[in-house]
Amino acid sequence: MTSDVHSSLEAILETGAVRTVFQPVFDLSGPDPAVHLLESLTRGPEGTNLEPAGVLFEYARRKGGEARLDRLCVKTAFASVPALPPGVRVSVNVHASTLERDLDFASFLVEGATASGLSPARVVVEIVEHAPSWDGPRFRKALDTLTASGVKIALDDIGLGQSNYRMILETRPHYFKLDRFLVEGCHEDAGRKAVLDSIVRLARAFGSSVIAEGPGCEGDIAAVREIGVDLVQGFILARPAPAAAASRFFDA
Amino acid sequence: MPRLLIVDDEESILFAMGRYFRSKGFEVDVTRELEEAQALVLNVHYDLLIADFRLTGIHGAEGLEIVGLVRERCPWMRSILLTAFGTSELESEAVKRGATVLLRKPKTLSEIAAVVNRLLQESA
Repeated sequence: MTSDVHSSLEAILETGAVRTVFQPVFDLSGPDPAVHLLESLTRGPEGTNLEPAGVLFEYARRKGGEARLDRLCVKTAFASVPALPPGVRVSVNVHASTLERDLDFASFLVEGATASGLSPARVVVEIVEHAPSWDGPRFRKALDTLTASGVKIALDDIGLGQSNYRMILETRPHYFKLDRFLVEGCHEDAGRKAVLDSIVRLARAFGSSVIAEGPGCEGDIAAVREIGVDLVQGFILARPAPAAAASRFFDA
Repeated sequence: MPRLLIVDDEESILFAMGRYFRSKGFEVDVTRELEEAQALVLNVHYDLLIADFRLTGIHGAEGLEIVGLVRERCPWMRSILLTAFGTSELESEAVKRGATVLLRKPKTLSEIAAVVNRLLQESA
């Protein structure tokens, strides 16, 4: 990997040099796996230090540019929608701080989805957060704008970092996403299973669905299904792919 | 294969050091920016950091910030801080913040490589 002029945040934002890949969340409740939604995942400029999403977003946060990068990621993801199978549900990742600080972001997202031919009712906004605090009322207002348009809310990395009880109460998510840290290896770890079981019961109390991310093996999938989680996402089931190749997820 | 992160605001130095250490069999990432270096340290498993004390920017002592982050989040990593302004006070501050070694410029690539190899052998 190398650093060059295209690796700077400003260059990325000016040129739009990110791309989107999609990874399915499967519903395993039926006889065959069915795609429940496609999560859009961003990659930075190819061949640079910023190509991996983890590096790109950490860099943007440290530059104070996560809101502008979130806009670019959402715009890029929606631009791929026409290449996806029709009727699919699509999720996009958004920082809580973006919803709090960028007052037009919610409208921008809803309008972007509609313009790309994606009904807002088929959009899931996955809330991610790394900052320790945010303005509750402004954040809540943005969520209200989204949900009033039919957008569903998912809370990412439940139980880790800032995705804590306060965040659950602020977002009232339609989906609880269980992080790989909790899911991977859960079939042979009673402690992990106990934590997962507790979160699943909490989600049920909120009337929410649960998605288990990152099972490491079939045993982990069996373990999360045992505690009532049918929505599963992970490399073991399908690796992320560009929109043009996403139709193969529906043939599984 | 040991993996190095090299941080310097001078493109020519990055190019020369990157090419040199790759030719010696290292896996090398290079960057000019403090924030990019920090993001890399938090997401990629490196064995050793080589950072200039001062990068272009408003901070003035960015190298110390990077070695501080390395010490806090990646305690297995060794770090070499390069400076043209070596004083005993700076040396003491650099070690206090987490630098394994402070090297006063100028140093040849082979002199830096000797320190890199020694630190990696010590931590093996």
